[in-house]
Amino acid sequence: MKITWPHMGSLDVVLVSVFEEMGVEYVLPPPSSQRTMELGARYAPEFACIPLKTTLGNYIEAIERGADTLLMIAGKGPCRFGFYAETQRRILEEAGFPAEMVALEFHLDRLGELVRNINRLKQGGSWVRLLRAIRFALHKAFLVDRLEQQALHQRCFETEKGATSRALRRAYEVVRRCSDYRGLREAEEECFALLRSVPQREAAEPPVRIAIVGEFYLVLDPWFNLQVEEQLGELGAWVERSVYLTDWLRPSGKNPILGHSERESERAARPYLSHFVGGEGINSVGHTVLFKRAGFDGVLHLLPFTCMPETIAKGILPLVSRDQGIPVLSLVIDEQTGRAGVATRLEAFCDLAKYRRRQSGRSLRSSELSCA
Amino acid sequence: MILTGTGDGKRKDCWRPRRVGVPSGLLYYKYFPLWKAFLEELGAEVVESGKTTRAILSAGVSKAENESCLPVKVFYGHALALRGRVDALFIPRLVSVEKKTHTCPKLLGLPDLVRAAAEDMPPIICPTIDFHHSLWQNYRAVYRVGRLFTANPIRILRAGWRAWRHHREYRRRLAEGWEPLAAMRGEQGDRLAEGRRLRVAVMGHHYNVFDTFTTMSLLDRLRGMGVDIITQDMVPERWREEELKRLPKQIYWNYERELAGSLLACVSRRLVDGIIFVISFACGPDSMVHVLCDQERKRLGRIPMLTLVIDEHTGEAGLITRIEAFVDMLKRVHEGKADRTERELVRA
Repeated sequence: MKITWPHMGSLDVVLVSVFEEMGVEYVLPPPSSQRTMELGARYAPEFACIPLKTTLGNYIEAIERGADTLLMIAGKGPCRFGFYAETQRRILEEAGFPAEMVALEFHLDRLGELVRNINRLKQGGSWVRLLRAIRFALHKAFLVDRLEQQALHQRCFETEKGATSRALRRAYEVVRRCSDYRGLREAEEECFALLRSVPQREAAEPPVRIAIVGEFYLVLDPWFNLQVEEQLGELGAWVERSVYLTDWLRPSGKNPILGHSERESERAARPYLSHFVGGEGINSVGHTVLFKRAGFDGVLHLLPFTCMPETIAKGILPLVSRDQGIPVLSLVIDEQTGRAGVATRLEAFCDLAKYRRRQSGRSLRSSELSCA
Repeated sequence: MILTGTGDGKRKDCWRPRRVGVPSGLLYYKYFPLWKAFLEELGAEVVESGKTTRAILSAGVSKAENESCLPVKVFYGHALALRGRVDALFIPRLVSVEKKTHTCPKLLGLPDLVRAAAEDMPPIICPTIDFHHSLWQNYRAVYRVGRLFTANPIRILRAGWRAWRHHREYRRRLAEGWEPLAAMRGEQGDRLAEGRRLRVAVMGHHYNVFDTFTTMSLLDRLRGMGVDIITQDMVPERWREEELKRLPKQIYWNYERELAGSLLACVSRRLVDGIIFVISFACGPDSMVHVLCDQERKRLGRIPMLTLVIDEHTGEAGLITRIEAFVDMLKRVHEGKADRTERELVRA
């Protein structure tokens, strides 16, 4: 049994760690590329959302490398994501790719099925060992997230473009290598030192602050969002994003990286969108309000083409933008989206945010930057 | 429950809407007789926006998000057309109409979307119906709508009861194959199925299939070609549930369950000669359910299926050509079969 899973940002750091610890065979799909996108778009239904297409592409490429068990999460809706596993299983079966889909459904009345599925995946390893492996992997994810956040915050100060991203990639490798908690503590120091060692300049004026909200897969995966984080950072923006991998892996309670809970963002969204609409729709609206309160200059909203919850958010965000007085740019991404078009819009958006801040005459001391 | 501008949303208790607008889109085709009976029984005047027209569609397209599906754009147009003519819009938020299922996310956010569409939108009355909650909570949501119009609780109960009877009657008429608009008005009209030679299932959401403008009178055209039509309302619920139970993963969108269940029942029970699957462009749930239906259809028995994807750019000529070609093909298959049985009879 060779397990594989689709790419989603730094998810592979976590899952590889779990599977190595358990001694389970796995196949890492090749890094997402244009081919992934094309394969996905060829087999998937025309107006399925882009995560379905890209993850399907990842699966096909992994099957070509010998994977035979596909890992996916299932749910109860109303977002389409809960139905991905079933649809992709049917598509792959129809197209003649030999693989078995294992859909993990985290729901109380499906507990039996979940336990059976995990039991099969762990192939005889003990439950205690599995839980330990997961706990360790979550620590890794937490570290990776904090590193990513550090990179988002410091990229606008780098003197040489791309230096932070290079340092971050090296930091990933360091985290990936460590196999116990002591190693992880050492890695933490080493990685932060790595990031801090990137030469930085003194900024004459505080950088413009842009927040990224939207559908989690697009926010988390730099390949499919056309590296908007890097692009914004290199345009001189101090960036924060609404969702990190840890939030997604530990879905309840407080958002450990940003520090506000789901409930807070839902409350913030209530004057504009008063009901849960599936996926992250209500949180996109709520986070926009929260980021405005935290003093951000602009919000970038990422959504896949035809994504249902985010399309609702997109319809409501203009009202939020008018009412709260914060510029919002909604970027719809699909397999046709070109890099140049996105770059142009981001540049214009940064300029607009900068201009508006100057107009409002608000000066921001750099010491305020640390309390996002 | 009442959505007004972005202010505090609270109105004085004495606010009594007289003219209530119901945009004729989306769930209108499913629940309008119920809503109308309820509101009229409470003493309100119900204003419809009427049939979809080119002007309504253009207004909707210009205001709605580009990424929205066609029926949502149409709905925007209807809501905008009622602006200024009514005291309030009635747009219920149907979260779930059956335990463990949801309606489409677009319907969950619909009242908020409509309010954000224009600055001078009238207040929106949006009771939340959610069958994950208790019956009591749903009853309270309905009751609070009633209190907007009358202080008499008995009257609200009676209105609810009458509304429910109208709804049942409407569903019965649809199940008997009345023409949808005739069924809504209660006029005795033509039947969709009258025992013609060919029988075709037209499967799709009510707001797609019953809207004569966006589907360019698909049902009338088919009848004009001498084809009997089966809609999903005409397939008994028991048959639908039987089909759905067989699926490895349960569909969790309520209206998609109806659609997939009746489509599969048509295939496995050989109720029809062909199937026309109507999808509006960018419909989220349908993109998934179509994969499922197509595969199950091939497995259960090859009844031909034509998938029509409609959007605001759909040209009439292209649509008609495809329908004609499909019906011609079905006729040929049918005649072929008749020939064969005749020959077999002769040989015997």
